Amino acid sequence: MFRFRLYWTFTKKAFLRSAVYRFDVWSRLGSNLIFLLMWGSIWTALYAGREEAGGVSFEAMLTYIVVSQFLTGVNGAGTPLWDIQEKVRTGDISLELMRPFDVPLRYLFADFGSVAFYILTALLPLYTVLFIFMDLTLPDSWQTWVLFIISAFIGFLIRYCIEMSFGLLSFFLVETGGIVDIFYFAMSLLSGSVIPLWFFPGWLEKMALYLPFQGIYYIPNAIFIGEISGSAILLSLGIQLFWVGVCYLLLRLVWNRASHKVVVQGG
Amino acid sequence: MSVLKYFDLYFKLISAGVRAQLQYRFAFVMRIVGLITSYTGTAVTMWIMLYQFQELGSWTFYEMLFLFAVAILSWGFCIILFFHFRGLDTYILNGTFDRFLVRPINPFFHFMAMKFDVASFGQFIFSIGIFIWVGFELQLDWTLGKSLFLLFSVIGGVFIQGGLLVMISALAFWTTKSEQFYWVAMYPARNLTNYPLVIYPKAVQWFTAFVVPFGFVNYFPAAVLLEKETPFFPDKIGYFSPLVGIIFFAVAYYIWMLGLKQYKSTGS
Repeated sequence: MFRFRLYWTFTKKAFLRSAVYRFDVWSRLGSNLIFLLMWGSIWTALYAGREEAGGVSFEAMLTYIVVSQFLTGVNGAGTPLWDIQEKVRTGDISLELMRPFDVPLRYLFADFGSVAFYILTALLPLYTVLFIFMDLTLPDSWQTWVLFIISAFIGFLIRYCIEMSFGLLSFFLVETGGIVDIFYFAMSLLSGSVIPLWFFPGWLEKMALYLPFQGIYYIPNAIFIGEISGSAILLSLGIQLFWVGVCYLLLRLVWNRASHKVVVQGG
Repeated sequence: MSVLKYFDLYFKLISAGVRAQLQYRFAFVMRIVGLITSYTGTAVTMWIMLYQFQELGSWTFYEMLFLFAVAILSWGFCIILFFHFRGLDTYILNGTFDRFLVRPINPFFHFMAMKFDVASFGQFIFSIGIFIWVGFELQLDWTLGKSLFLLFSVIGGVFIQGGLLVMISALAFWTTKSEQFYWVAMYPARNLTNYPLVIYPKAVQWFTAFVVPFGFVNYFPAAVLLEKETPFFPDKIGYFSPLVGIIFFAVAYYIWMLGLKQYKSTGS
């Protein structure tokens, strides 16, 4: 049975904890801005004064990057992968196993709290100013706004399930170095967070379209700038829902195996 | 103590550390695989970017790879010598920093010799591999002069990036925080310089040339070696890397010592 009020407590607590460590939270904005500057400059230089490339206007492309960087901030504000690994390594996670709640859900709801704090106090003010002062495109209807928010939220869930699954691999492997780096690579490239999939070579684009990572950044970004529009939006949301289901099952599988392993070793 | 004594001591201290790390052979190999994977990821990203657009601010794919490899090579040495400086805050908070103060050697030196990260072989394998590949593709003529120029530029780059790590570490003396400063400022700034500086706004270029001289780590030297223009900056500015590095590092060392002088143990 899903006890919403129990998990909601974790959300509230995480929000308040972020408020206590607010300077640590806000300092992350510096890094976010440097990366925005970097990718904004790279795309400006790639377009090199052209009005459009590959059928996408420069203004839309710049918007894509800004939205992507906003979502990167959102996705980076939760419990990071290394934190989960550290909890497994030090054995702290065993304390959580003894308590009457579901650990993956508890972390998800805690992340809602810290992400909400970061969005409200840091990301939204900064990006509102950016949208006012830069030449960027905004969705032309409120429906697109709603669909974008839904898509970004599903993307967040996909990212959470994948990142948590990778973090839990520490239960099985002593050293996860190489595997974690593959995760970060897929996260930055195959998700289309810095290069939209339509600029990929054909074979790579096809590959990326068969993977879950596109649901994290590419689909919400493309909906925002109108590259995915009309009924194609519903199809994309369907794809995202499919992947969130698959990734959730993956997380469940990894988690069941992992918690089982702890029980075995617990003697 | 004489300089020679210090060298001898440094090698004794680090060889113990290296032996300890090599006990965990699987972890060692996995970390190198991980490093090479993530650098390859950046290289693949560059390739896809230029698949459609051919060049970035007049830099082609191979030229950008070369630029990237120069940065990675000096970063490899930097990891060996200075990367652990960013973690000074943990030592101060735990009170374990005090042990560096009670020995009859320079505390800066002692802290520096504390760790020697063998995983930096990942950086060396990657960057040297790139140099060989790009050398063929661009038909670079590796004369003795050019090789020496690269060597001195890398030394300059080690001093610049090492100096910045030392400055970040010094912040811990005043604020008891340092690791975080690395991740929110230096890590993204290092990423920024993987791409030719010419694409950034002038203020940023100026900043990375004269305030935090990242430009001298790879952009200016690579431009000299590849005979590329560096708009807004004089030609041959890349020759100044070693000098800039030494000055920057000297300033960083001075700041660190200044912090040390007024450091009071947290008493934990």
